[in-house]
Amino acid sequence: MTQPAPDRRTTELAAAFVDLRTALGRVLIGQDDAATGLTLALLAEQHAYLEGPPGCGKSELAAALAALSGARTHTLVFHRDIRESDLLGDVLLSRHRHRGHERLRRELIPGPLLQAEVALLEDLPRSPGEALGPLLRILAERHALGQPLPLESAVATGPLEQVEAPIDPLEPGQLDRFAVQLRMTGLLTGELFDEAAVLLEREAAREPSQAASRPVADSAHARAVAGAAPRSAVMSTGTRNAAQRAAASLRVETRTIDAYHRLLDRLRQRSADESASGDRLMSDRSFSSAALRLVRAHAFLRGAPAAAPRDLHAIRYMVAHRLPDEVQEDFDHILEELLGDPPNVTMTETGAQMPGAQSQGDDSDGAAAASPASDSWIDDQADLPAPPTLFGKPPPPAQVDPLLRALVGRIERGRIDPDTDPGGQPRGYRPLRDLDEVIDADVIEALLFTEGRLPGAPRTFERKRRSAGGAVAVLRDISASMAGRLTVWSSQVVLGILRVAARRRMRVGYVEFHHRALPHEVGGRLLHRSYSRLAEQAGQAKAVGQTNYEAPLRTALEGLRGGSGRNRHIVLLTDGLPIIGDTTVRRERQLARRLGVALHTVFLGNGDCPPVLDDISLETAGLRFYGRPTAGGGLRLEER
Amino acid sequence: MSDLTPLRDLLDHHVVGHDEVKTALLLALITREHIYVEGPPGTAKTRLAEVAARGSDLDFFFYQLHRDTRLAELVGDIVLERRKVRTDGAAPGTAGEAERIHQRIEPGGLLTAEIAVLDDISRAPGEALNVLLRILNERRFGAEPIPLMAAIATGNPMDDEYYNEPLDPANLDRFALQLRVSGLIQSGVDEAKTLIDRFASGSVVEQPDPEPVTDRVTLDALHKRMYAVEVGAAVRAALLDVLRTLVLEFECNETNSLLTDRTFLVKAIKILRGAALLAGRDAVDLQDLAALSWMTTFRVPPEAHEALPRIIGRVNRQVHAV
Repeated sequence: MTQPAPDRRTTELAAAFVDLRTALGRVLIGQDDAATGLTLALLAEQHAYLEGPPGCGKSELAAALAALSGARTHTLVFHRDIRESDLLGDVLLSRHRHRGHERLRRELIPGPLLQAEVALLEDLPRSPGEALGPLLRILAERHALGQPLPLESAVATGPLEQVEAPIDPLEPGQLDRFAVQLRMTGLLTGELFDEAAVLLEREAAREPSQAASRPVADSAHARAVAGAAPRSAVMSTGTRNAAQRAAASLRVETRTIDAYHRLLDRLRQRSADESASGDRLMSDRSFSSAALRLVRAHAFLRGAPAAAPRDLHAIRYMVAHRLPDEVQEDFDHILEELLGDPPNVTMTETGAQMPGAQSQGDDSDGAAAASPASDSWIDDQADLPAPPTLFGKPPPPAQVDPLLRALVGRIERGRIDPDTDPGGQPRGYRPLRDLDEVIDADVIEALLFTEGRLPGAPRTFERKRRSAGGAVAVLRDISASMAGRLTVWSSQVVLGILRVAARRRMRVGYVEFHHRALPHEVGGRLLHRSYSRLAEQAGQAKAVGQTNYEAPLRTALEGLRGGSGRNRHIVLLTDGLPIIGDTTVRRERQLARRLGVALHTVFLGNGDCPPVLDDISLETAGLRFYGRPTAGGGLRLEER
Repeated sequence: MSDLTPLRDLLDHHVVGHDEVKTALLLALITREHIYVEGPPGTAKTRLAEVAARGSDLDFFFYQLHRDTRLAELVGDIVLERRKVRTDGAAPGTAGEAERIHQRIEPGGLLTAEIAVLDDISRAPGEALNVLLRILNERRFGAEPIPLMAAIATGNPMDDEYYNEPLDPANLDRFALQLRVSGLIQSGVDEAKTLIDRFASGSVVEQPDPEPVTDRVTLDALHKRMYAVEVGAAVRAALLDVLRTLVLEFECNETNSLLTDRTFLVKAIKILRGAALLAGRDAVDLQDLAALSWMTTFRVPPEAHEALPRIIGRVNRQVHAV
């Protein structure tokens, strides 16, 4: 089959975006993947979420996208106290005399964010959900206050999902508003030392900024300032919009759609096999229209006349929060495998009919080595390093979700709503009670109030904060019988519990035990908040010795004794009967009841669960779980 | 010695001991980096910060952070601008007046200061701190650049008994220089004797606010000279070797460390230059790498931080051997 050659105008439009990608790639050293993802996002008019460790250049790259593309832009830094007016705009307050009484009407005038073509949302997850909800809806609908928005792409940045960060990660539903999801890695922590050397050289050659008396921003974008030319737009708004329209109307080949269906099947299948990482989402919204827009954009950027199966590579820029980590890492492989094995389509196309894109294979096997330097990035994606996972290594296939869900439920049940706290996050409104609070009041209502034109008190933020209370101690059997897979699985369970605890700022304790209890204390305390240190230790456990329940329970209860509050838990992970110590742990059960500590027990393996574990949990209102090996070599946790 | 000798003398005059903190404070002023000093109460943290700030004749902002710290307290007043707008009266009964209300911040505090002392930052909740530290990092508020040269923050150790929330490690990363101090008396160093003698002599009953001994012009000139300090290939290679050792041997990664590119590939070069300048040299020497340990205090696990002098020594020997 022959494709019509793209006309010259189309070629020019594609070239403008290739230039954008190239310029963007020069902004940061060693972050080509993110540069490509952002280029595709703008071309496909999709929103993008860029996450990465601090100081890796997220904000810089996002700002460069706006500058280089010539788009009208507005940057908003999210924080706890962000207000509606920052997000949406000024208030128009109109007063009308109507039959002798005055009527007040309050309207919004779209602010700079709603007039931006590329909106930059920095540190998005720092904002409380209340502020985020309306904004994310507006972004998705691209319509606000009865008018369509000029918005093409919103680019949000956020920190890497990290156990110790005191902020809540965005919910999957909120993240889903961002079709493109990119995860950046630092050069040092990503062990890209050659790139790091280049950056050091750039910095060493750096001149003082233009105006010596005025300090300049010194974030990672110093790298850009040092090496690259000043950032002026590489395209006009007319070109940008024309390219977006052209890309959106690109034809998608039938075989591409077939391949896409097969890709989705495989991704679904793999995700189901490895659902250990839990809350992932493949929504219709993202995987229908947004995905296909990105696939078209990928083809357009290549100068191709229609979207071929290889353009499905664009999907990899969508998966950071939509697929389990294991599947993400394998994405390129899954796709390559699928493209290399087409069911019934013969590949006859060659690059010959594409005058604009120089000679370049259009087949799925891709003539990467021969491709010209300017767009080689699009072919060698398979060689890029896999994104890091939360704890360094990909977790083994233990399905700990049911346990974690139940445990979270129990933790939450034991707690009242977040406490009212003047330093907390705005979680709703209430009437002003005290004039001191006026700083936190709705500005317009406060204004009317002071003018004596508001019948009641102005509403003010009700600030709440999750109490950092609560504690969970994990007791992990490391006796000899736990060797092998059981060790890996119980590490997984411990890591999951640590993650839950970290998110709720609960203190944690970790005790490994065989015939003796081996508490991992920090600063002489059993309970602390050094989550990642414990996570590291949990990964190193070796199985030796025999089982003793008494010693670890005693250790944990002593540790919990000093604290107060109701939300205290012990999770006991074991695979066998206690042999040493008081095997009925009578005194410990009593103590736990007296302290109000819930003892949850998890029995791993194929054998019968020792009745004493049931007694322990039943007496202390704890959960009872059973972890059984599955046929596939995994582990499934169920309630006993 | 550099032009900052008078300031160093001033620090010595007002505070006994704490040699490293004093040097790091001068380094912060030269490099225009922020500095965080952590230590138990009563170890002259705030005093050191104040003397350094007041001795430099810069616009000065002192703020004591607390649990309820709000953005407005740090950046100025929230202002409402009201403008009359004509309404077209299109809707029935809408003939009348309207007002457009715009909220903005009248810059003050941190936004207009050249040097800021942020006392007890560990007392403010993480969410409030984030805005503050973001401003520090970007040195702009919204689109406007701010004149801030350096912020000096103090905090208490992150133990439970001090009743504060642990700082978000990402927040601490905004302070290029980070030091831990301990009390002279508690640690039993020789200077403890000097300290007691000084107070015993009755000569320092009440310490007046220090007079400025250096100024903006001097600091600007020093900052400019800093960029002329050469960072040779050998030093860069040695720096990278140290960093490589932290990553590969001490397993510093994204979960246990803040080994960020911004800090260790961009700011480290400045710190090294500043250290060389402070020592009166116009090229960075391998011995200046010692300044790196003022950057790693809270960014890498304690064992890696403690091993840093050893790592630097080893790298230096390798370079010399070549």
